[in-house]
Amino acid sequence: MITSVEKNYHPMSNEFDNYKIIKDGVTYFIPLDEANTDYQAIQEWIAAGNEVIDNGA
Amino acid sequence: MAITRITNIANTIPDASIANEKLSDIVNFKNIIINGDMSIAQRGTSVSGITSGGYYTLDRFNFNMVTMGTWTMSQDSDVPTGQGFAKSLKLDCTTADASPSAGDRLRIMQAIEGQNLQYLKYATANAESLTLSFWVKSNKTGTYNASFYNDNVVRYISKSYTINSADTWEKKTITYAGDTVGSIGNTNTNILQLQMWFGAGSNFTSGTLATSWEAETASNMAVGQVNLADATSNYINITGVQLEAGDTASEFEFLPVDVNLERCLRYLQFIDAEYFIVARWDNNAGNPIGQLNFLKTMRAAPTASAIGTFSTGAGYAGTPSFNNIQTVCLAPSGADSISANSIRYLHNGLFKMESEL
Repeated sequence: MITSVEKNYHPMSNEFDNYKIIKDGVTYFIPLDEANTDYQAIQEWIAAGNEVIDNGA
Repeated sequence: MAITRITNIANTIPDASIANEKLSDIVNFKNIIINGDMSIAQRGTSVSGITSGGYYTLDRFNFNMVTMGTWTMSQDSDVPTGQGFAKSLKLDCTTADASPSAGDRLRIMQAIEGQNLQYLKYATANAESLTLSFWVKSNKTGTYNASFYNDNVVRYISKSYTINSADTWEKKTITYAGDTVGSIGNTNTNILQLQMWFGAGSNFTSGTLATSWEAETASNMAVGQVNLADATSNYINITGVQLEAGDTASEFEFLPVDVNLERCLRYLQFIDAEYFIVARWDNNAGNPIGQLNFLKTMRAAPTASAIGTFSTGAGYAGTPSFNNIQTVCLAPSGADSISANSIRYLHNGLFKMESEL
């Protein structure tokens, strides 16, 4: 189960690069690719009213 | 002179029965199922205490379960004698659920990319039949279901089979009509999904089994299904899973292990970080970064994670983050900021990339 979703920024370009999530206690990095099933799950998680953490670059 | 084309090879063989057999034997990758001989288990060979769905051991086989007991999933050496198999998938019940709730389910599944299935000619009058064959062994006899879900058009077909004798390997063959109505999307996401049921709540058993393609209706999915979760003595082994176009099952298509692994790498890769260099080269201090090229192009940009304990301290970069994730590569970066124009190493851990369906 997803417990947190955070925007992950590129360490050199400082642009929003992917989502860093914690699911079942494990950290994953999810690309912004609609064909990725975890990306699809994040969109559902957001649509359910959950909030993405954004600490900026 | 080099051979440039072979046309209508069946006509060159006088005996039709021989011709048909040989044709089926020479079709490479006729088995739509990947890892059907259960030979590849990149995630590990045994996981116990499973109480929810996910990918656990054998590549490409998704254990799909909603509150139906606790299970051990393993790559097992129990196989049908004399058939050429070395491994099977085993599910072993360790906590029973004799009275599943209405929405509970227990099954293994494999999702197939639609772009690999266009030759089935679905949604046309020429839609190909599919034949599923596999070996199965369980202490729990009775009625089971094997089904297909077309994600592109949300349609479903299900056929039942019977395990007749306890603790005995049996070969099952089931043929499904082609769907002349519902198309299979030509993409890496629209899927045809094999679902092999081992338990189901009443939401999935209360209707009439969908033995022809129809709009997905939960109650028609697994009618008559026995409950493999009703006792801790229950288990099931499966191997030799083959799905092929046509009305008959041919001999199992054994692939070299390296070919089998190559096919699995499209969906899952682990790469050792022995001394993986990350650096800062732009005259600015910051987190060091490098580029990791994958072993094979993946289905989609994968979910990336760090497995194990990465070394920290002098020269090492700690547990990495991941950026620029694409189907062919990604950029791991170190955990701490370092000075400009210097390097660190990612060491001792594993990179895991997963783009399962």
